[in-house]
Amino acid sequence: MHLADIIGIGRTAAGEHWRRSLVDLCVEAGGAALDEARGTTPTAVIVGNALGGVLGDQQNLALYAASRLGLERVETHTVADDEASGGSAVRVALALLAAGLHERVLVIGAEKTTDALPDGVEAARAKGLDAVREAGFGMGPSVGAALAMRRYIDEHRVDRDLFYHLAATAHAHAALNPLAFLSWPLPEEQYRCSPVVAEPFTVCDGAPLCDGAAAVVLARPSQRASSAIRIAGSSAVSCRPGIAGLAVDLSLPAAERSAAAALSQAGLAARDVSVFELHDSSTLMAALSVEAVGLAPRGKALDFAARGGLRIGGERPALTFGGLKARGHVMGAAGVCQIAEGALQLRGEAGTNQVAGAKSALVQCLGSLGATAVTHVLA
Amino acid sequence: MDIARSWRQQDSNLRLVGSRCRVCEALVFPQRLRCPSCGGADLADHAFQGGGTTVSVATVREAPRGFAGQVPYAAALVRLDEGPVVAAMLADVEPEEACPGMRVSMITRRIRQDGDDGPIVYGYKFAPEGSP
Ligand SMILES: [Zn+2]
Repeated sequence: MHLADIIGIGRTAAGEHWRRSLVDLCVEAGGAALDEARGTTPTAVIVGNALGGVLGDQQNLALYAASRLGLERVETHTVADDEASGGSAVRVALALLAAGLHERVLVIGAEKTTDALPDGVEAARAKGLDAVREAGFGMGPSVGAALAMRRYIDEHRVDRDLFYHLAATAHAHAALNPLAFLSWPLPEEQYRCSPVVAEPFTVCDGAPLCDGAAAVVLARPSQRASSAIRIAGSSAVSCRPGIAGLAVDLSLPAAERSAAAALSQAGLAARDVSVFELHDSSTLMAALSVEAVGLAPRGKALDFAARGGLRIGGERPALTFGGLKARGHVMGAAGVCQIAEGALQLRGEAGTNQVAGAKSALVQCLGSLGATAVTHVLA
Repeated sequence: MDIARSWRQQDSNLRLVGSRCRVCEALVFPQRLRCPSCGGADLADHAFQGGGTTVSVATVREAPRGFAGQVPYAAALVRLDEGPVVAAMLADVEPEEACPGMRVSMITRRIRQDGDDGPIVYGYKFAPEGSP
């Protein structure tokens, strides 16, 4: 399918933006994308953001972002689907384009978490799980990942330290990315000595929450030949949420179905895809995502990463700008950030992170520990 | 957590009250207005017995806001004898000694307090079976 053209891309660095507000981040990334798409004016602005309202920042964010970008008389929507917000914002834009309601839509993903204290951010983030039965009983995404990680180790009989290779892959790629938050290689010794968050899950198993934004300008597919990167597949699937289901089944059915549907729309199989941007919010989620998308059989994601299978230059290059784990976990911005990174790969503009000859990219973001999955295929 | 919210959760928090579907007999915790299995709306309250087995356990050392006073604590998934799996903390056990496959039963404990002067929320935790 040919759902839209990506005609502009903008990204901020992922990190601690003390001088920037949430709206500023939207304007910085959105403005850069509009500069690239010079001569076109979007008539709709969709912003993906997970925690802005909860953390006391701007609500109805898309309205304020559009206004400060100088866009007047536009349709605006703010999309909040937990960590999948960015991917969902792109879905909303595609629906508006497909319905013929707009010709050009600006999509922004933005998150600002460093103004709040970490335990407050973790509590806010936990509300993406069952707010009463999980968050209300001391469970957050890290505890959920820990419970699933313990089961993964027992069920698949893997060495706990093998999770290192997923983190190391992300760090190795982030070390090449000037916009990454943790832009250094991760030595195995540092991973092993990392402080425990919830045994067996350590600080180095989690992706660092930080500030950041990314934006893309999407256009209805042009009839004329164009060199623009296309969105060739798009699918969002939500399945029954819950830490219990995740940890018992050790699979991500929403991610599996959403990836399969998006690939089928694009007429591709996973083995045909050049670049994979997955939702590595933790090493555990990275492992389950790698398996859900079909890059490794169940229980084999760690071995595959250890063999270098996910490295740039490896069999299935993934997390090519550092992923959430080392580029930085920008929550609601993640989905748009991944699309921007995938599009740069296909343009051949990924610099030191370039995957040689990249022809297609699969990007997937997940909300509520994988219960909501949004996948896009770029070509 | 405001008072109304806490009051609304009393039955499920203190007595493990869930729902039984009168159409397909599915058991679900906590209470539901619609059966998650068949979509039916004919549900009756069902108090679970409280016995179960741990499926997975993690020792929490860095807790979300509201739970810091309890670290380290063991978070667990408990499969109730009737089937549903509940995420809950363990009590009356050293976190390091908690492991998957333990027989546990439900007890009522303080779950959290919102700030120094906020209401204290009581609810279920699970303790090793046979512990005093
Ligand atoms: Zn039923």
